[in-house]
Amino acid sequence: MADGGGPGLHAGNRAASEPRLARTRTDKPLRVGVVGTGFIGETHVAAWAAEGIHAVIHDVDAGRAAALADRHGARVAESLDELFGAVDVVDICTPTHLHAEVAIAAARAGRHVICEKPMARTLADAEAMLAAARDAGVRLFVAHVVRFFPEYVAARAAVLDGAIGEPAVLRLTRASFRPRQPAGHWFFDHAKSGGIVLDLMVHDLDYARWIAGDVVAVHCRSASVAQPEAGVDHAVAILTHRSGAISHVSASWGYAPPTFRTAVEIAGSRGLIAQDSTATTPVTPSLLADAAGGGLTAMADTGLAGDPFRLELAEFARAIRDGTEARIGAADGLEALRIALAADESARTGAVVRLTQEAD
Amino acid sequence: MVVDAEGRPPVRIGVLSAEHVHAPTYISLLASMPGAHLVGVWDDDRQRAAAAAEPVATRAFDEVDALLERVDGVVIASANSRHRRLVEIAAAAGVHVLCEKPLAITVEDARAIVDACDSAGVRLMTAFPTRWNPAARALESAVRSGALGTLVFLEGVNTGTMPDIHAPWFVDPTLSGGGAVTDHVVHLADLFRWILRSEVVEVYAVANRILQERFAGVETGGLVSMRFASGVSATIDCSWSKPRSYPTWGGLSVQAVGTGGAFGIDAFRQRLAVYGTHETGISWPAWGPNADDGMLAEFLSAVREDREPAVTGVDGLRAVEIVDAAYRSIAAGAPVSLGAGQL
Repeated sequence: MADGGGPGLHAGNRAASEPRLARTRTDKPLRVGVVGTGFIGETHVAAWAAEGIHAVIHDVDAGRAAALADRHGARVAESLDELFGAVDVVDICTPTHLHAEVAIAAARAGRHVICEKPMARTLADAEAMLAAARDAGVRLFVAHVVRFFPEYVAARAAVLDGAIGEPAVLRLTRASFRPRQPAGHWFFDHAKSGGIVLDLMVHDLDYARWIAGDVVAVHCRSASVAQPEAGVDHAVAILTHRSGAISHVSASWGYAPPTFRTAVEIAGSRGLIAQDSTATTPVTPSLLADAAGGGLTAMADTGLAGDPFRLELAEFARAIRDGTEARIGAADGLEALRIALAADESARTGAVVRLTQEAD
Repeated sequence: MVVDAEGRPPVRIGVLSAEHVHAPTYISLLASMPGAHLVGVWDDDRQRAAAAAEPVATRAFDEVDALLERVDGVVIASANSRHRRLVEIAAAAGVHVLCEKPLAITVEDARAIVDACDSAGVRLMTAFPTRWNPAARALESAVRSGALGTLVFLEGVNTGTMPDIHAPWFVDPTLSGGGAVTDHVVHLADLFRWILRSEVVEVYAVANRILQERFAGVETGGLVSMRFASGVSATIDCSWSKPRSYPTWGGLSVQAVGTGGAFGIDAFRQRLAVYGTHETGISWPAWGPNADDGMLAEFLSAVREDREPAVTGVDGLRAVEIVDAAYRSIAAGAPVSLGAGQL
């Protein structure tokens, strides 16, 4: 079964392919290695540190790894093998197209795997990751952090509480500016990153499935401009869920910095849930010194309700330690990728892509 | 004779049918507009005509011909399915027409409406007031000015409560032509055509009947994606997704994205928040300008100056073609092409 848990279903990863492990040692703190020290790698290293776990880090760019290690009191491993030898869990924050290679190597080394979203660049890669984890008897988690953002969690809880009846029409929005990376960066190479659909829209594709269940048809239109200097990437997918619900999912790198707006609207048979980050920001500084702000890559404001990255990694760590399940499993990551690849294909061909999941 | 500010005689206007929820607004605005002389209201339901005429002390007509022979133009505010017959009667009487949206419930009827006015030599305008909404005009200006660079995407939301609380015919497909897709696609489709000066060449749409307690009569939820000849893509959420508890009827918003950045509008954002008792709840009374004013003034000017109105019957026909394509796409489960839209 590959079900994200539609309304009325309890949350969680019930994938049959997920290995059920006996409890591992609970007395020792989990040893974590982070591979890849770009934007998300640093975010994870900081979140681990906040959890009291000082990660071992590795990056093909040794200088960058050393600099990050200095900032966060982490230790650098010179090679993947050295890192595998020093940790229980490998947290993969490499460019998307390298996820599978590192994850499979980590699994074969007997290490549990946490993998940044999207799970992989191709479905074949994602399936190979699942198989490797299953064969090695290690856990595999895909870090779809939106499932840990408190507003998204609250909206889902309201749906499960029956506040709006049966979900009917979802509108999910993620609007930001283009990552300020140089031309030639892997982010802008569709073959490596999958572009805006796999990198940004995948957050809400997963969330749509978490709320309204499996997706059977995907239509997508995008205005992705290959040249980074053109500065616009925008995609909108329309999903049809097996339940009959429909979703409008919009992802944009077409806004001016420092915009990072996220919005959720879930209309149901008996009510409506509306959440817009522009209306729920609890703190609104307007400091002249920040006028050029926005950073290299936009990140949703984590607000004052808890750091979702920390909540996410702590939940995965707990699941690994206790042999329990997290709210998202590897099969969910695979399904989110399947929808994203379908959207990317639809945007390219203009056709509607129909999906069939493994029978429940 | 009464004259307007420029010394011109007012345009004599009648209202045909008060079935539509917008009729009272049109009647009240026309009764007080300087360039208009509201002659009266006709409705096939005598009581409805009287009720509509009473607040502004205009005349309720029993016979449509009696009203038509006294006016220069009419505003048609019947149920959607009755537009064609009323337009044909008005055109035959040589009276100019402002017809409520959607122009008709089928492409065939919409085409017949355009043809009837053409052959009779009367002006035909479709009631798309959004083109006079200041926020919508600001978006149009921003696009025209080049501030957004090359426009690549328009995302529109025109959602509301299910309108059966205003008039039951809205959810009777024989009278309305359909549900949320019929009701809420045309405003934004027309706005997008106007902003882009381009025609829709492809439509994809999905719809369902889960909202509003699984009301089964017509579709209540709908999402439409369209591609314009210019290459721009656009989407419209047309759902009747606002529950009865929502503090206002609904809203209309657009996010436009181009190579020069993004531009958002929320056409009905200018409103108060009023928190009442437990019984009266929360309401959002609008304080922004009423776009109907600008639309009606344009109709009066077009009639007076004997010129094409800024929104034509063909604009109404194009919007009906887009709605028709949306229903064809829903049935097919795939995108459908829209011919170059030849008459």
